[in-house]
Amino acid sequence: MNPRLVGTLVQKDLAVFFRNRLFAMITILGIIAYLVIYSVMPGTIDYTLEIGLYSPVSIPAFEELDQEGLEFVTAPTEEQLRQAVIDGRFIAGISLPADVMARLLAGERPGITVFFAADVTPEMRDAVAMVIQELGHIVTGQTLDIEVSEEVLGLDLGGMPLPPRDRLRPLLAVMLIMVETMGLATLISSELERRTINALLVTPATVADVFIAKGIAGISLAFGQAALFMAIVGGLDKQPLVVLTTLFLGALLVIAAGFLIGAVAKDMLSVLAWSIPVIIILLIPSIAVAFPGSVAGWVEALPSYYLVDTIHRASNFGAGWSDVWQNLIMLLGFVVVLAWVGVVVLRRRMQ
Amino acid sequence: MSLRRIGVLLGKELFQGPRNFIFVFVIVAPVAISFVMSLIFGTLFAEQPRLGIVDEGRSQLTTSARETAAIAVREYRSIADLRRAVESGSEDMGIVLPADFDSSMSQGERIPVSIFIWGESSSRSRTILGVTVINLVREIAGQEPPLEIDSITLGEEVTVPWNERLLPLIVLMAVFLGGMFLPATSIISEKENHTLAALLVTPATPEDVFVAKGIVGIALSLLSGMVILLLNQAFGAHPLLLILVLALGAVMAAGLGLLMGVALKDVTTLFAIWKLGGILLFGPAFVYMFPQIPAWIGRLFPTYYILQPIVEISQRGVGWETISTNVFVLVVLDLLLVGAVALALRRARRVASLG
Repeated sequence: MNPRLVGTLVQKDLAVFFRNRLFAMITILGIIAYLVIYSVMPGTIDYTLEIGLYSPVSIPAFEELDQEGLEFVTAPTEEQLRQAVIDGRFIAGISLPADVMARLLAGERPGITVFFAADVTPEMRDAVAMVIQELGHIVTGQTLDIEVSEEVLGLDLGGMPLPPRDRLRPLLAVMLIMVETMGLATLISSELERRTINALLVTPATVADVFIAKGIAGISLAFGQAALFMAIVGGLDKQPLVVLTTLFLGALLVIAAGFLIGAVAKDMLSVLAWSIPVIIILLIPSIAVAFPGSVAGWVEALPSYYLVDTIHRASNFGAGWSDVWQNLIMLLGFVVVLAWVGVVVLRRRMQ
Repeated sequence: MSLRRIGVLLGKELFQGPRNFIFVFVIVAPVAISFVMSLIFGTLFAEQPRLGIVDEGRSQLTTSARETAAIAVREYRSIADLRRAVESGSEDMGIVLPADFDSSMSQGERIPVSIFIWGESSSRSRTILGVTVINLVREIAGQEPPLEIDSITLGEEVTVPWNERLLPLIVLMAVFLGGMFLPATSIISEKENHTLAALLVTPATPEDVFVAKGIVGIALSLLSGMVILLLNQAFGAHPLLLILVLALGAVMAAGLGLLMGVALKDVTTLFAIWKLGGILLFGPAFVYMFPQIPAWIGRLFPTYYILQPIVEISQRGVGWETISTNVFVLVVLDLLLVGAVALALRRARRVASLG
């Protein structure tokens, strides 16, 4: 391998890449768009049900049910309670009559008023009604004789789930990497289509030099963008080395896919035709991480599962080398196999 | 113009088309967009906590839970399935009801119940699920609800759920991805490969070629729009009326595609124009998504007259009387576009002679 030649070829490939207006635009606008998407997603999650309460009498049951996930805030007057509900400060407002305790304890069924803002969904109204009825049961001292055994499955975040933007972060980083499949495939496809690759091989550059140069160009684009994105959005705050290593392996995976598509495709339209299904398939595991339970367990058969799962666990939960080494080995295995197939197919095409 | 020649050209477009990336683009993209949108707004921002149940008897709790709006319920066959579902986040909570659950509860006997909680579920979901299940158990135990609740709605704002707000955007994307890109890329490819000139040496006229490409665009556009409406269960009470509006929208999309095909040199330019022009096409959908934007702005965009009848029919269930004015405007816009395409045919002759 001739490093000087490889360097020149990388420069040439990057210049060719950015000369294509479509991909240059996708590259620059892509990062900006992903940053915008990330920033408009909610950064916090409202994990408590905040209910306003106007009650002329003190009711101890409310303190009993005022636990994690549920919060009662007292309003001095019913009018203020109504206004707070309209302003969206509470999901609902409960107005209790002065004789509610006495009537409950007497075994009667007193009426209470619950205010909802117009934008509260029927699901939430039903949930609030359930909460209120349970309060009534507690006040009247009705018990249930159930022996509950409770088990928390998976990583226990104590009722405070990841904000949507952090959950989507691995998906966005992986998408940035995956889109580069098209860029690299176009670089290769255009060389083959125009037969400039044959011209290159007449120079002192060898086939290995050409492959390595294309690989480096692809990696610098895919890895560079994803690493930049993760750095800006705080994805490197926890376990940066693990995240960067994983992104690098992800970039290698994309290079391998790009070699394969570039070898098979005839022109730019054909590159897009092949790339879109490949990218969609490789993105499915990211959807499984971003939207838990949406995809079945077969996603583990896809190489990108090990990429996105590692980024998710390392960047969101601080998983270290000892937690993710199996994922990284699987990912490396997929990369080696795909890259080997890609190089073989490409060599045949060049011949 | 010859119907037989148009038929032959139509066959060529249809049977050679599937190898073209556009077919992937127009079929895969709308479905993928719809899928992702439903995931984002059906999962990430869903307000209903999810409860999985393994019912070893035939408990009333399962039936009552299904009827409750507060939670979403799914039943599992085995405890292992339920554990897997909770562990993967498919359910926020799982409950195993023993075979004699109802009888034990009604007789006041102590009964063991296993509950699984997804570690990443929110405390809000846990509270709602816990309280809802307890309420339902109390019903089985014969405990009457102690309070009479009078719900009062304050304010006038009626919220449109996000999945409904996004539907117009998804429908427009489906209609225009297929209807516009297919004729446009088809003509551009013919020009790039100089096959259009070759084609016009045969008895086929430019009119035949354009009509064939336009019909394929319209058919694909209509199909994509219908698939999206089917996927989103948004056909409403007047499906034929909806198909008519979609068809008129498809004509607009195909007309724009034909015009672009004539005007543009290569596919890269088409994509670059799409990036900017897309904003103009999808403008009314963004106005619909964000009610803070004055509604009259939407009327400035030609696609408003496709979108508004679709929204009216699919989401508000209205009939012909309400949408007729917008449909007439759409017909006029389509006729203008057809006229523009006819003018472009002259240009096509020039292109052919130069090609």
